[in-house]
Amino acid sequence: MDSLSAATAESFRLLFSGDAALWIIIFTSFSVSLRAILIAAPFAFVTAFFMAHLRYPGRRAMIAGFSALQSIPAVVVGLTVYLVLSRSGPLGDLQLLFTHSSMIIGQILLSFPLLVALSHAAFQAADRRVWETSITLGAKPYRAFLTLIHEIRFGLIAAFIAGFGRIIAEVGCSMMVGGNILGYTRNIPTAIALETTKGEFAQAIALGMVLLSMALLLNGMLSFFQGRGEMTA
Amino acid sequence: MSAIIHYSAMRKTVHQQLLLDIDTLEIHERACVALSGRNGAGKSTLMRIIAGLEVPDSVTVTFDGQTMPWQRAVQRMRTHVIYLHQNPYLFDRSVTDNIAYGLRHQKLAMKEISSKVAEALDWAGISHLQMRNARELSGGERQQVAFARARILRPRVLLLDEPMTNMDSEAREQTCRMIKRLKDDGVSILLATHEFHTVAHLCDAHLSLESGSLQPQSLESAGGERKIIPYG
Amino acid sequence: MKRFIANLILFLLLAAPLSFAGEQPLLRMATTTSTENSGLFTVIQPAFEKALDIKVHVIAVGTGKALELGRRGDVDVVLVHAKPAEEAFVAAGHGIARHEIMYNDFIIVGPADDPAGISGMQDAASAYARIAASATTVVSRGDDSGTHKKELALWRQAGIEPDGPWYRQVGQGMGKTLQIAGEMNACTLVDRGTWLAYRANNPLKLLVAGGADLKNTYGIIAVNPQRYPDVDYASVQRLIDWFTSPEARALIAGYRVAGEQLFYPVEN
Repeated sequence: MDSLSAATAESFRLLFSGDAALWIIIFTSFSVSLRAILIAAPFAFVTAFFMAHLRYPGRRAMIAGFSALQSIPAVVVGLTVYLVLSRSGPLGDLQLLFTHSSMIIGQILLSFPLLVALSHAAFQAADRRVWETSITLGAKPYRAFLTLIHEIRFGLIAAFIAGFGRIIAEVGCSMMVGGNILGYTRNIPTAIALETTKGEFAQAIALGMVLLSMALLLNGMLSFFQGRGEMTA
Repeated sequence: MSAIIHYSAMRKTVHQQLLLDIDTLEIHERACVALSGRNGAGKSTLMRIIAGLEVPDSVTVTFDGQTMPWQRAVQRMRTHVIYLHQNPYLFDRSVTDNIAYGLRHQKLAMKEISSKVAEALDWAGISHLQMRNARELSGGERQQVAFARARILRPRVLLLDEPMTNMDSEAREQTCRMIKRLKDDGVSILLATHEFHTVAHLCDAHLSLESGSLQPQSLESAGGERKIIPYG
Repeated sequence: MKRFIANLILFLLLAAPLSFAGEQPLLRMATTTSTENSGLFTVIQPAFEKALDIKVHVIAVGTGKALELGRRGDVDVVLVHAKPAEEAFVAAGHGIARHEIMYNDFIIVGPADDPAGISGMQDAASAYARIAASATTVVSRGDDSGTHKKELALWRQAGIEPDGPWYRQVGQGMGKTLQIAGEMNACTLVDRGTWLAYRANNPLKLLVAGGADLKNTYGIIAVNPQRYPDVDYASVQRLIDWFTSPEARALIAGYRVAGEQLFYPVEN
């Protein structure tokens, strides 16, 4: 217990003294995950929209597929991306491995099924009259889509937050395709994994606290937006 | 008087059953026509086809004297023909934004939009509600917003789907007043209802949808002359 | 607090350039977790990056994975400590040549009450024979790492195939394995560097050290540019040359963990 409280005290000191090494790690995490989610979300929303509004062969299979892919373990995604991006792999010439780009690609793949599944639920729950009202008032399909997005925004924000929550804390994918390179691709989860194996608990706890606060914040926001979504339905 | 839209040979199958089989349907200028029929007869489907929200299996359309393919007719008729749901959906925005919605794609100046909205608010008697969020309004107020939102686009035809159903007498009064005002503006109205007697006094003609086809009806609820008298 | 904000702003400004290394050549090196954990790189990396004007991204994984990265061309140079595996790597044409640059040693640590009776021994293979005979619990890396390969070689030398409930393979890094061994009051093979870093918090004691079979040599190998033309072979050559320079030798020999020297540069 003594070492735990000492490590915790040290971790606070590290966080608030602006320890450079620590803050680069935190920054890397947010930089990578934000970029990934901001790229994945629009594509996911459009996909979910078509899944909800069009009838096409294989639609049901697609819905079931995305639902199942939600729970794909991060290491599996990481391994797949690694094999594809490796210099021995099909896309090796792009030289993307062990960079932010490969981490972003991995996290896009990780968050995409979750984003589609949750936003699909939001689109399904949307009132059919929204689209029809927009169209009959003269809106082109693109504008009607934006109007629909606005009307169900709380459900979509909730999907966004859930997706972000998944990727900010994942280690399996980041470790494999990022390489945990000091000062470059080391993010919060991979750093925690490393520091604990080294027994550097102060650093690990500091980073763990950042992650925990983020998780609590995200969950709070999620509940808030899901609640708002239900109220305005 | 002229026919704005003329449909012939309209057929629509739903769930493997022939729902609509209409030889001729004309929508005239400045006419207020009641479309009656029991629940499930296909009134909404017919109106939605006219609104371009549903696709018929086959139809020939003539719009303003020009015969054209279905898709093109739908595009041409946008904002000339506006459909109002039984319970109109108001966007999660202010009343002003709701009313201005259809104007936004018309590339008008902000000032012009503002003045048109002000006029529409005034017309519906809801100027005092302009900044309120549309979701917070009562049923009657929502209908006023929906009417204003449609009228601001100066449609030639309004399709009202059961506008008086599930309303108390005061709300019904208000709706009637607005429909009368729309008639004064020269808007052609097609009014679906399963309670004809509630709208009889508003209408110049009465069509009944039975077994997929339209039958002209008298305007008197108890016998009387069988005449279709469009006004204007 | 002021420093915190200053750092935050600094990082935001550096955000974009962080991804773009600039004009310097960029090399990727695969090494082992125990090498990185020893902290040696905090001393030598700034030195060789400055001296050679290159940027090096160090990816620390298990020995098996490090060599695999080399085989697949995902890194330009490999620095591990598993001589037979390294020689096979070069023989198969994955690497150009093996350059031995430094060594440290392995030790066997175990319970203070020494149930196997091996305390003070130098020859590791014989120690393992006694451990097996007494069925003392052993925690093994079990992860194809340099340490693991060394351990297996010692068992082979002792003529024993370790098997039974007393032999635990954990598949973890060295630090974690040491922690687990401490928890289980077991024997384990560990490199001296990791031991020096962890012994303060570990109840186990150093039991066997100094034998010739416990020497742990480090080799650096350039990935074959004929297999992977993207490899910046010229820069890798310069890096390998640096490792045998007097400056490198001084830094390596001068590196201390808990006051003790850890690595010994190879005299060539």
